Amino acid sequence: MAKNRPAPIIHTERLLALVPYISAHQGIAIADLAKAFDVTTSQMSADLTTLWMCGLPGYTALELMDLSFESGFVTIRNAPTLKSPRTLNVEEVISLLLGLDLIKESLADNSQIAESISRLSKRLSEKAGVSANFRAHDPVSSTVRAEIENALSKQQTLEMTYHSLYSDSFTERRITPLELRVEAGIEYLFAYCHNAMAFRIFRLDRIQTLKVSTEKAVTIETDTLKNAGEVSAHISFASRARLMKERFGLDDAPLDVKVQVASFSRQWIIRSIFASAGSARLVEPVELGDEITEKAQLILDRYLAH
Amino acid sequence: MSRKSERLVNLTIALLATRRYLTKNEIFRTIEGYEGNDESKERMFERDKDDLRSLGIEIEVGGFDPIFNDEAGYRIKPENYALDLGEISGSDIALLSLAASAWNGQALNAIAHSALLKLKSIGIDSDIDSIPTLAPRMASASSELVNVVEAITTKSAITFEYMAQDLSQQKRTIHPYALASRDGHWYFAGLDVDKNAIRTFRLDRVQGEIVLGKKMDVFVIPTGFDLFSHLDETVSQKIATVDVRKDKAFALRKQALSIIDKGEWDQISIKYSDQTTFLDSLLWHLDDVLVIEPLELRDSIIDVLRTMVVVHGKK
Repeated sequence: MAKNRPAPIIHTERLLALVPYISAHQGIAIADLAKAFDVTTSQMSADLTTLWMCGLPGYTALELMDLSFESGFVTIRNAPTLKSPRTLNVEEVISLLLGLDLIKESLADNSQIAESISRLSKRLSEKAGVSANFRAHDPVSSTVRAEIENALSKQQTLEMTYHSLYSDSFTERRITPLELRVEAGIEYLFAYCHNAMAFRIFRLDRIQTLKVSTEKAVTIETDTLKNAGEVSAHISFASRARLMKERFGLDDAPLDVKVQVASFSRQWIIRSIFASAGSARLVEPVELGDEITEKAQLILDRYLAH
Repeated sequence: MSRKSERLVNLTIALLATRRYLTKNEIFRTIEGYEGNDESKERMFERDKDDLRSLGIEIEVGGFDPIFNDEAGYRIKPENYALDLGEISGSDIALLSLAASAWNGQALNAIAHSALLKLKSIGIDSDIDSIPTLAPRMASASSELVNVVEAITTKSAITFEYMAQDLSQQKRTIHPYALASRDGHWYFAGLDVDKNAIRTFRLDRVQGEIVLGKKMDVFVIPTGFDLFSHLDETVSQKIATVDVRKDKAFALRKQALSIIDKGEWDQISIKYSDQTTFLDSLLWHLDDVLVIEPLELRDSIIDVLRTMVVVHGKK
């Protein structure tokens, strides 16, 4: 599986895939076919012209495939040799195995479907001679993600039970989803929270339950989105750079460097400094630094008394 | 470009349709596109065979007929060429399509898309209504993921630069056994050739390219090797006793082996392996947790807290 295969090879692969696809979708529009194969309409027309010349040796009308597409809709006849799709290669099998493993958990409640998934995985692994060395785990329930995507497209408001890691508590909230974002492997939902009457960012993996609210969605002015309660801080780092880099989402390697970190939560900053176990020092704002000292002293006293 | 692909398609059709092996001469005589002198036809054919094989098409060589000639013949067996998933339902097709769609915009998107096209070409309609509405999404990964997949399937060694804890880079050579995503990250595990021990790596900590060794089949994957259980195994060696405030520290409670009610507090026991990492997660919970045992963990926490008080200054 070379990453950069020569153009004629990619082209041949597409031509071979086209015949069974058209056979299964007789009368498909050229534009739809182009979309399915992720090429332009003119490229698809060129492909079809090439295919039109292909067939069994002899290359007379009897041996050539009977391909018609002048009307803008494609039909194929007399192509029995290539009619069946090609067998899945090992990489394709692995992509499907990982995909099946990913959805398995979300479907665990449905035993019939869970059984189908196991059966399909087993059959695919055996066919391709792949062992069970490929696993995928979705930290986010794909039902939750589907609910949010649905709410986003319909502009619905949702009732949510959320576990806040910063305040370490469960809350019931009414939210209007605005945007899904992925940062450093973590999926976030940017939403308007009707309880806080402010914009909030939620981690998808902390959403416990979600359902569509019966109340009508409200329109939210997007120009008030900016700087929704952002706290910024100066932090300096001493060691354990990889962890610091990943925790604070920094691009450059910081070692004894002051950096500016913006966060929507003071709690997050305080907890992150603590969890950095002495490798990070908050320089500014000063009152946040005092809060950290106080908290550290409080915990320390408790340990010494215990 | 289209002349070459046209010839390759015609060659595939001819080799698939034939019930006996076709000799080179028959191929040159009957299949369109083989031109020039014998030598250049020969070269074209050799390249074409390699190209079809690179697409995963198996070309069989055989049919040496002693009576007529000694020449080798070629054919593609339809059973090797065609997709055969056995008995398959519309609901199965829907599940497989959903599995492929999890890669939308992610590392193996192109591969999953080509699998999806094949599934859609079987001629069985996907029965979407038979499965729940889901939106699965694979964890993002760099394009290097493809190289790890290839190394595992071809049993080739891989070499790459890896970012260590202190941000220094180390060159590692690994025989990769398994690949898994967890908590939004991709991990792969295998034998570290220099250390002669099993190691786990996080893909986004690999710096630059993952280079595949030229030789295939250089190792054997131990049967039953599972990265998830391997991660879990190395993650559970010591046990700590920790007091946690009621209704707090849910992340720790989730991993607790046991929980004892002590009134305002609960006492949990919890497994951990790497003290540094565990210490971080305990400190994250601020004054909602108090470590009782082991003593060394308590002492480290006290050390950290003293340092924090010093660096952040007394009021």
